[in-house]
Amino acid sequence: MARFGMALDYKNCINCKACESACKEENGIMMGADKHRIWVGVGEIEGQYPLLDLTSNVFHPSQCQQCDDAPCQDVCPTEATYTDENGIVRVDVEKCILCTYCMNACPYDARYVEENTMTVDKCNFCTDTRLDRGETTTACQATCPTKVRIFGDLDDPNSEISEVLRVREHYSLKTHLGTNPKLFYLT
Amino acid sequence: MGVEISRRKFLQGTVAMSVVGATAATNLLSNEQTPSVKPGVVSFHPTKTKDVESHDVATLCEMCVNKCAALARVENGVITKLNPNPLFPKSKNMLCPRGNAGIQSVYDPDRLKYPMIRIGEKGEGKFKRVTWDEAYEAILNGTDKFPGLQKILDEEEDNRSSMLFCAGEGMAEHTFKQFYQGFGSSNWLNHASICLQTVASGYGVTIGAYPQADLDNAEYIIMAGANRAEAIVTPDTMDLFKRTKGRGAKLICIDPRFTNTAAKADKWLAIKPGTDLAFVLALTYVTITEELENSAYIEANFNGYELYKNSVLENKYTPEWAEPITGIKAKDIYTIAREFAAAAPKAVYYPGRRSTFAKNDFQLRRAMAIFQSMHGAIDNKGGLIFGGKLPLREHDGLMPLYDRAQARAVYKSAEMKGKLGYDDCAVVSGGGSWISWRNRYLQDQVDYNIRGMFCYKHNPMMNMPNTAKTAEMLKKMELVVTIDTMPSDTVMYADVVLPECTYLERTDPVKTFGGVEPSFAVRNKVIDPMYETKPVIEILKGLTTKISKPLFEISKKYDEELQEFIEEDGEEAAYAEFDLTLPFIHTQEELNHHALAMYIGAAEKLHTDGIFYPKQEDYYKKLSANDYQYYPEKKKKYSVNGGKPKTPSGKVECIIGSFTAKGIDAFPIWRDEYEFKVPEGKFKLLTGRHAQFTQSGTANNSMLRDLMPENFIWINRRVAEQKGIAFADMVEVSSSIGSTQLKAYPTEKIAPDQVFFIHGFGEESEELTWAYKNGGNDNKIIEDHIEPVYGAAAMHETNVEIRKV
Repeated sequence: MARFGMALDYKNCINCKACESACKEENGIMMGADKHRIWVGVGEIEGQYPLLDLTSNVFHPSQCQQCDDAPCQDVCPTEATYTDENGIVRVDVEKCILCTYCMNACPYDARYVEENTMTVDKCNFCTDTRLDRGETTTACQATCPTKVRIFGDLDDPNSEISEVLRVREHYSLKTHLGTNPKLFYLT
Repeated sequence: MGVEISRRKFLQGTVAMSVVGATAATNLLSNEQTPSVKPGVVSFHPTKTKDVESHDVATLCEMCVNKCAALARVENGVITKLNPNPLFPKSKNMLCPRGNAGIQSVYDPDRLKYPMIRIGEKGEGKFKRVTWDEAYEAILNGTDKFPGLQKILDEEEDNRSSMLFCAGEGMAEHTFKQFYQGFGSSNWLNHASICLQTVASGYGVTIGAYPQADLDNAEYIIMAGANRAEAIVTPDTMDLFKRTKGRGAKLICIDPRFTNTAAKADKWLAIKPGTDLAFVLALTYVTITEELENSAYIEANFNGYELYKNSVLENKYTPEWAEPITGIKAKDIYTIAREFAAAAPKAVYYPGRRSTFAKNDFQLRRAMAIFQSMHGAIDNKGGLIFGGKLPLREHDGLMPLYDRAQARAVYKSAEMKGKLGYDDCAVVSGGGSWISWRNRYLQDQVDYNIRGMFCYKHNPMMNMPNTAKTAEMLKKMELVVTIDTMPSDTVMYADVVLPECTYLERTDPVKTFGGVEPSFAVRNKVIDPMYETKPVIEILKGLTTKISKPLFEISKKYDEELQEFIEEDGEEAAYAEFDLTLPFIHTQEELNHHALAMYIGAAEKLHTDGIFYPKQEDYYKKLSANDYQYYPEKKKKYSVNGGKPKTPSGKVECIIGSFTAKGIDAFPIWRDEYEFKVPEGKFKLLTGRHAQFTQSGTANNSMLRDLMPENFIWINRRVAEQKGIAFADMVEVSSSIGSTQLKAYPTEKIAPDQVFFIHGFGEESEELTWAYKNGGNDNKIIEDHIEPVYGAAAMHETNVEIRKV
């Protein structure tokens, strides 16, 4: 029993996409730009050459926010989307009927159709591919050149993630929706 | 240094030329197991597995030159995941997107699977599958389509220089080079002259080595013409970007383009291409006039400083002078010079690691090295560092068969009186000058016949300017043997194709990695070679076993000295010196054991863990899930030379007098012809790299293509609007030598008189499912401008036109 979350030191991100390729390789995700569990949002550059705004072109790594109150789970008619004993929002391949309600409900646009398994899939913190083997990192965290991600148990006060959230300022996305995300962006 | 003229007088070859100054001290040259059907649409080798027993093999990545440490997960004999190996101080527990995509290079359905010989016309790409022995036989005796070595060397009276040897960068480059040395040719070309020759040598002659930068501790970094957020170099990329944006390191990015590095910088200054030298000279001017330099350091450690200083002052290289040349405001230059000095010696003018862009690149690198040294910021924590290096035991390789094998592929008119001269560069380094060699060969300016080539892990069709000329060269060669993993554009011109296995299927020579935290690393074989592929060492073992004796017979026929030798000592003793098989008798594992003999337990540790350095078990500590300690702070090799340069004189060399005789400036000065100019209506073509794609070598990787399907040409948004070019419109880009087509990306990240696209796309080998005619090929349009000092290819000297098609 744990309550897994992730902190993102997003200022480290150089948009190299190591995380995206590690995620695809680890989780066997189909090719194609619309098939991904994680991504890097890029701010559109502002200004006119050479007077460009350096702060506009920001890189914002993202993925399923692992909400404690997940809208995608609420709307699922077959209970295919569920929260497991470690607080990870997951998809039951057998139950998913591809109705895509979850895609519409997710405020973070984190769900996609995976044609390998014919499910509306999402990030599950590499539960079946890594955590179940006894690994303690996700593929995206392990591979990252600049170490954007810290993954761990929010219920364990001695975990790195608990420690970092105690000492560093952070924010979560769209908290006003009451989703209670377990992803935290370090400022 | 002079090299003796060969004892073998009848061999046509080259007279060695003297090399000016020192060269850089760092080693820069330093079956159907899977589906054989090409997937029709988009798919890649699936790697998701569960509940299967797995084991990890420690290996080293080969998707680019960095050689980062990886752990390959193997399940049921299949590689299912590449993870970072945290033990390696250089790659610091990371794998970039290319490192992750390495699996797809193993399971690429297009890869070369078995030996082949040409049955169609040259360049047509029609081959027939043969056995290894048939391939070796064809190299020796030819077919009805091409001559073999025996015929060529007999006709050329044993002139071994009638074969060219060329190789790309890689851990086994030296293995192949031993074949070249044993063979006895004088024609060797590697990637240096289309890679980092001028930067490595610029620093080499000035401070005695091509240094690394301590970006983990530098407080102020000028990164000019380098793009570490996209062109990843380990450990620099990781060290730097954890500390930018107000977190310890101030980063000044100087680049004509707004890159990802610019996005992470504190300041980005758009410089006009090719004018960095003026920027550095102006920084130097401010440093001198405001007395910002470390004068005690200069007094103790510089040669020729007064002369250089006077030149900078007399030429009035003021920031105001530099402003119109560079496009960078004078006030910014003053500020940067002052801030750099305030942070020094924890300040870095980043040396970079890239191809030559402008013809003045060598002088630029010298000016950068001198500017850095003026602050005493070399061989120190937070500055440029030489680092420590653990010694390996050398193998007894083959001595070059002929002294002339050490001669260079280029020679100059001064040494060749009465013969056609080659004045295209002043100094010739070990790697030769690719484009000047190619162009001279095409113009029949070599005074003996060169009739064939061996090409290892190298793709001249894609990797150097003027593809049309390279195609002409390959067609003119009567016997082309390629050793490669992929059916590249160059392989299409081969007569004999020898398939190498990929990096995950072979053990390579153990390598020592210098730096602040030195270590050994080895690439261990993860799975057995698939199909009929082999590592290069085994390929050469088979080849030399086939050709060694027959070539000796040819030497017997023409070599009078050899005939005398046989008379005196007998044939067996004579052959022992001509036996080409000797370097390839031992396995790579045996050779690695031998190289590491002085470190007890190292070979075993490297076999299981991939990484070894003395006291590793005491020093190495896991600090967190992300961070590791490799050496305690006190044991790090920030300073190995007492803060002094590594030149033979022990001084920073401001002046290199011997250059003058060769028409090269003895110290960096600005010349009017360096100014940035683009004719009305044209654009300066810039090229570069990024993180999801190395070069043509990764062009057919399905995972990387998923991340970046094709290259786009960057064109200024306003200019595009005027020309009616919208995003993804197809445009034709043409220069004086050719044209290529690709899609447009209108953006404000580039100046109105410049365009840019990523190198490595647009291959034309039909055997490459994903790379075939995908995107634009820069080398079809980059003109072959030759940099004057080392004969490097100057890649940003081409003007192009753009037309919507």
